[in-house]
Amino acid sequence: MIISRRAALLGAAAASLCKPALAQEAGWPSQPQHVFVGFPAGSSPDLLARIVTEPLSDTLGQPFVIENKPGAGGVIGVQQMLNAQDIENSFAATINGPLTTAPRLTPNLGYDVESDIAPVALIATSPLVLVVSAEFEADDLSGFVDAAGAEPEALAYGSVGQGSGAHLTAELFSDRAGVEMLHIPFTSYAEVTTAIIGNEIDCGFMAPSAAMQYVEAGQLKILGITSAEPFAQAPGVPVMAGQAGLPDDFRAELWNAFIAPAGTDAAVIETLNTKINAILGDEAVQQRLLDMGWQAAGGSADVLAQRIATDTEVWGSVLDRIDAKD
Amino acid sequence: MSGWDGFLHGLSVAAQPGVLIYCMFGVLLGTFVGVLPGIGAMATISLLLPITFYLSPEAALVMLAGVYYGSQYGGAVASILLRLPGTPQSAVTTLDGYPLAQKGRAGVALFTSMIASFSGSMIGIFVLIVLSGALAKAAVAFGAAEYAAMMILGLVAASTVGAKQPSKALAMVVLGLILGCVGTDVNSGVQRFTFGQTELMDGINLVALAMGLFGVAEVIANIRVAERTGVPPRIALRDLLPGKAELRRIPLPALRGGSLGSFFGALPGTGSTISSFLAYALERRLSRRPQEFGNGAIEGIAGPEAANNSAAISAFVPTLALGIPGDPIMALMLGALVIHGVQPGPLMLEARPDMFWGLIASFGIGNLLLLVLNLPLIGIWVSMLRIPFRLLYPAILIFVCLGVYSVRGSSFDMFAVALIGIIGYALSLARFSPALLLLGFVLGPLIETNLRRALLIGRGDPMVFLERPLAAVFIIAAAGLIAMSVVQVIRRRSASAGGQTP
Repeated sequence: MIISRRAALLGAAAASLCKPALAQEAGWPSQPQHVFVGFPAGSSPDLLARIVTEPLSDTLGQPFVIENKPGAGGVIGVQQMLNAQDIENSFAATINGPLTTAPRLTPNLGYDVESDIAPVALIATSPLVLVVSAEFEADDLSGFVDAAGAEPEALAYGSVGQGSGAHLTAELFSDRAGVEMLHIPFTSYAEVTTAIIGNEIDCGFMAPSAAMQYVEAGQLKILGITSAEPFAQAPGVPVMAGQAGLPDDFRAELWNAFIAPAGTDAAVIETLNTKINAILGDEAVQQRLLDMGWQAAGGSADVLAQRIATDTEVWGSVLDRIDAKD
Repeated sequence: MSGWDGFLHGLSVAAQPGVLIYCMFGVLLGTFVGVLPGIGAMATISLLLPITFYLSPEAALVMLAGVYYGSQYGGAVASILLRLPGTPQSAVTTLDGYPLAQKGRAGVALFTSMIASFSGSMIGIFVLIVLSGALAKAAVAFGAAEYAAMMILGLVAASTVGAKQPSKALAMVVLGLILGCVGTDVNSGVQRFTFGQTELMDGINLVALAMGLFGVAEVIANIRVAERTGVPPRIALRDLLPGKAELRRIPLPALRGGSLGSFFGALPGTGSTISSFLAYALERRLSRRPQEFGNGAIEGIAGPEAANNSAAISAFVPTLALGIPGDPIMALMLGALVIHGVQPGPLMLEARPDMFWGLIASFGIGNLLLLVLNLPLIGIWVSMLRIPFRLLYPAILIFVCLGVYSVRGSSFDMFAVALIGIIGYALSLARFSPALLLLGFVLGPLIETNLRRALLIGRGDPMVFLERPLAAVFIIAAAGLIAMSVVQVIRRRSASAGGQTP
């Protein structure tokens, strides 16, 4: 339903040209703006959104109110943004899932990423780290790959659910490293960490912020990181790409982005992108993000659009592989 | 620094005026939202969260925690007076609290719940101070097999709670189990019974279910009673206080409930709703007067109320010591800690002893405040019964709607609570127990997920449940309970076959 209405709007070029002009003359923003977040208050996507919306409210002179609409892995937040767009300017801050893998994983998604969503800016990215118990036999990635390759499903890994970043990254890794691991889905990193510490499962991919303190406490160790370069929050952790038979371009990142409904005034998106980039350029903001395990990103709206397209393809092929296995 | 030294140090943090005042505000607000059906700690803490940016981390956390355990006190009030649990955790309290209130003993029921809540909290705090290290280790040692086995034991032990007919009880538990299946299956990622609704992907909202079954259903049931038949007489102060015989029935159940609750609270994912059910089941099994249960047994209030309060306290063990939140409210508390630059987990005790012990000491202060505040309030709560139905029930419906909406801002949940309310009313007409449906709903997904996870980890070998000693103990205990019930039934049959009464 949303799709067809959007398509009609986009088709009527005149209509969509009229709308921005009005918005500009009125001196946007002239009223409080709503930013939908598909996760509960206090969660990391929520905290990331607040780091951006607080200064945004200050510089643009209107409050940017966070609306927490948790559910369905963040999809409900995006749906609610689209539902609210006829009433007011609505935006969303979301994790990568609803923009990349959700069309594959969520029946009745209710939106088409390409035609219904206007990218605004990439907020922050986080690599994943491969974590094992401190007692694990190997100390580096090649030792791990040897252990995992001893026989199919020699090692079991935990994830935060079917189709989650942790699941797909582990499958991508298995594919590139030529091993077969047993997937045990959990619902949170906390559960995965407990299961690894308790030696119930062997390993898992997770955000560095979820693992670091257990490493410091001597309960876990990290064997590698999925980013292209070493990460400040995980000092001394080697990059996985190019190691233990993995290709040089092996990379996996989680990200958070600011988006708007398609058809939002181009000038509004431009203004938001400029302001968000300015906020992300602030060293204090960068430090706050780093403390939470995130790297400030930024860049043009096209950078985000490109990111969505690339990741949709990469994770799509991983999902194909998982489907083929079943 | 550990144990009592830490606690004393914490007292010096928690007793600072700047922290104390927020502790008081937190527990007061907690009691209040606990009383209102539907609006609970979850909604209140999420609303308060942005405000805490302007407070010191200690004051912020002490206040938010105060709302959490304060709401456990308040939750019982509406359960007892109106058969409307203020929070899902206090649903069990309706079973005996309401009948007692019907007999004009509302004050006694409230007094029992306050004293039991306080005792439970104190046991929880004691456990937190003395055993937090051991409990944190136990939480790690608990794998999927242990959880599954323990939940099976819980289901077996509690599945006769509040039931007069076993077949009806079983039907309700099973219906609860089925409703618990709704949503995305954790193990396979498959959507079950969602009918294409994204809103159902995370399952039915627990608050909507509890408020629909108890709150809305009760309101519908009372529509037929257009006006209260005879306003309850003004209750004299001495009627509010229990007599000696009644007082004597509080301590042991409170002690047992408190111990049970502090154990379950410390296990992530089990939570205080389950512990209150189990405490009730335990009391009924131990009682020499099981027939009184469901008709206003003091033990049936004291046990569960002590259990849910001590569980609320010990739920902080995994959250603070492991960084593992046990339920959504604890996840929110964890988020609040992170916002204030405190990383809960194995390093927290060393990195932030002020915060850790200050928070625990504030539990002691807060609970003392709660007791002092709540005992005089009993008279005021009881006078709530004098509010005419035509004013009271519409107000309750509004609070239920507000509360359900505030959980995740979903209008879908509003329709759900209305529908569940109608179903709940139909069930109560047919004399089915909604408490058991809730039990099945809470336990079902836990059993299923952990059972399948344990089998997956064990590469399909069912022996995992007997090879792991803790799991084996739970399974054997569950089998023993079933065997006991079977023997009881057989004995009763042969006894009634011999005697004249059918």
